[in-house]
Amino acid sequence: MTLEIRNLHVRTEEREILHGVDLVVKRGETHALMGPNGSGKSTLANTLMGNPVYEITEGRILLDGEDLTEADPDERAKAGLFMAFQYPATIPGVSVANFLRMALNAKRDEPIKVKEFGRVLGDSMDLLRIDRDFTSRYLNEGFSGGEKKRAEILQLAVLEPDFAVLDETDSGLDIDALRIVADGVNRMREPERGFLIITHYARLLGYVRPDFVHIMLDGRIVREGGPELADELEDKGYEWVREEVAAGAS
Amino acid sequence: MPPSFVEDRRKAALEVFESQPLPTWRRSGFWTTTLRRLRLDELEPRRYEPLDELPEIVRQDLGDEEHAGLIVQRGASVVYTHVADERITMMPLEQAVEERADLVEEYFAKRLPYDEGKFPAATAAFWTGGVFVHVPKDVQLERPIQVVWLIDEPDTAQYAHTLAVVGEFAECKIREYFVAPDLEGQALHAGAFELYALPGSHVNLAHYQDWGAGEVYDVSTRRVEIRRDAQVKWVPIHLGGHLTKQTLDIVTAEKGSDMRHTGMYFTERDEHLDLFSTDKHEEGHTTGDTVWKGALTGDSRASYEGLIHIVPGASETDTYLQTHQMLLSPKAKGDAIPSLIVEVDNVKASHGGTVGELDEEQIFYMMTRGLSRTEAVRVLVEGYFEEVVQRLEDPGLEALVRRRIAEKLRGAEQQVRDFVAERAEAA
Repeated sequence: MTLEIRNLHVRTEEREILHGVDLVVKRGETHALMGPNGSGKSTLANTLMGNPVYEITEGRILLDGEDLTEADPDERAKAGLFMAFQYPATIPGVSVANFLRMALNAKRDEPIKVKEFGRVLGDSMDLLRIDRDFTSRYLNEGFSGGEKKRAEILQLAVLEPDFAVLDETDSGLDIDALRIVADGVNRMREPERGFLIITHYARLLGYVRPDFVHIMLDGRIVREGGPELADELEDKGYEWVREEVAAGAS
Repeated sequence: MPPSFVEDRRKAALEVFESQPLPTWRRSGFWTTTLRRLRLDELEPRRYEPLDELPEIVRQDLGDEEHAGLIVQRGASVVYTHVADERITMMPLEQAVEERADLVEEYFAKRLPYDEGKFPAATAAFWTGGVFVHVPKDVQLERPIQVVWLIDEPDTAQYAHTLAVVGEFAECKIREYFVAPDLEGQALHAGAFELYALPGSHVNLAHYQDWGAGEVYDVSTRRVEIRRDAQVKWVPIHLGGHLTKQTLDIVTAEKGSDMRHTGMYFTERDEHLDLFSTDKHEEGHTTGDTVWKGALTGDSRASYEGLIHIVPGASETDTYLQTHQMLLSPKAKGDAIPSLIVEVDNVKASHGGTVGELDEEQIFYMMTRGLSRTEAVRVLVEGYFEEVVQRLEDPGLEALVRRRIAEKLRGAEQQVRDFVAERAEAA
């Protein structure tokens, strides 16, 4: 039971961004994808979810063997994929609670009962220490950076996907908010669920310890290892990776 | 015999009407509103007998909400009058000019000159029935005052006039409904509406227009005057009409007056909508906030032009106008133009506008949560209008507007999907 990314080449109208990425995340595993700005991390996350801005020119995306390479974003969601956005869209006029109920119902045959939904939502909000009046606000409208990230993790907690991609969820969070978000993610970790945590910094990985670390540079994964790789990167910086790769290539 | 202030005005207006050709409204660019297909001579002011029960279409729209007072005018005749709250005066305007001449004469047509054009002249010359509302000083109404303008037969000309006066420190809700079934043939509603919100009063005003899919022309002028420390929240809702040309003006006339003006339109098929609103600040220390939102499907045309006008001397005015328009079909054409005339220093006045299509980023975001493209579009459009709908502050009317928005979206589902797909491909 796995999310498999095989030899993925991705381009926008202007240029190719990913030059053949291979990555396998098994259920129960937490992977960190690290890399400097512009290395292609967010492109990979968006491509996994089917963002139409990106075109896959080669390679495949498989979820538990099902080929999602050409699937629409809603089909991917129903197949079990989720992404916490780095910059989530604002949805005016639609409350957090309403949106969550629609999203939950989209994956179910029968609409969820009001009472059950209230319970599910309440539990997740307690987990993330979110105020009750938060859910009557329009989704992301006027939210601070931290509130947006928390709303993303709230969706993750309520929707309970099989595989979750967290795209720079740590960026812009103060240390308290980071701890709460990390707590939430840790409680979501279980044998049946895989995580791909995308981050620029090792900071979050101090709280959410990954099983594997991948380092991306210029649209390729150039180093892979265990959690100690994140620590090494924190000490030596991305320049070190860049030099290593250059040395290896010559 | 009606008093001379009405009859003299009719005569003078008739001269203006007869001397002017059918108007065409042109603006720079592609926009023209023309009435050349309107067969004005073939339409008549049809008379009807009073009704004991409300017509089905009216019952549907009003729901079972209780009112303070209700008048229904069908064609040229008031057919139903019911005043539930005895503190107010509500009667056909024809009756009020005789029975309440004191009040009517003071306010009647105060801000509605008959010589502003052929249609204001027509309304002034030919109005019949009509509605008069007076909420006396200090009276607070919980239940709304409702006025229904019904056209249910083709070849009807309806010349309408509503005069509403809300006394000092009174509080009320006034709703006018403009409804027709899907008529086979032409009809005209030429309307005049005036509201005077006296000092310290609070009025929540709504206009709900849904003329159906028939060939109904609506050429109307609506004016609201807000006096010292009074507030009017005005929500015009446009959900249907073959051709609509309206002038909607709201005036803060004395210090401390406040306007909240929030409108919406949703055009479909080959409908043509042309709205011009003016937020006029005649005195300083007044405040305003205007938001208009529109959506267009089919081959429809919709133009909203909103002007903030601050006259000399009206310093310390604080006002804002926003216009938004959403295109949902490749053939629809729209325009949303905010503008400012500021003739004094030391004011805060700004405006902003967007003419856009559905945002792909929002659609993508919602799809990643499992919503189909169609659902995502529906939720986005409903959410887009929600800000306006909630300003109605009236659960019954809010539900009616939400229901109609959903129906229109379902009707346009295929073309919206094609449009969005086409754009996704182009991007």
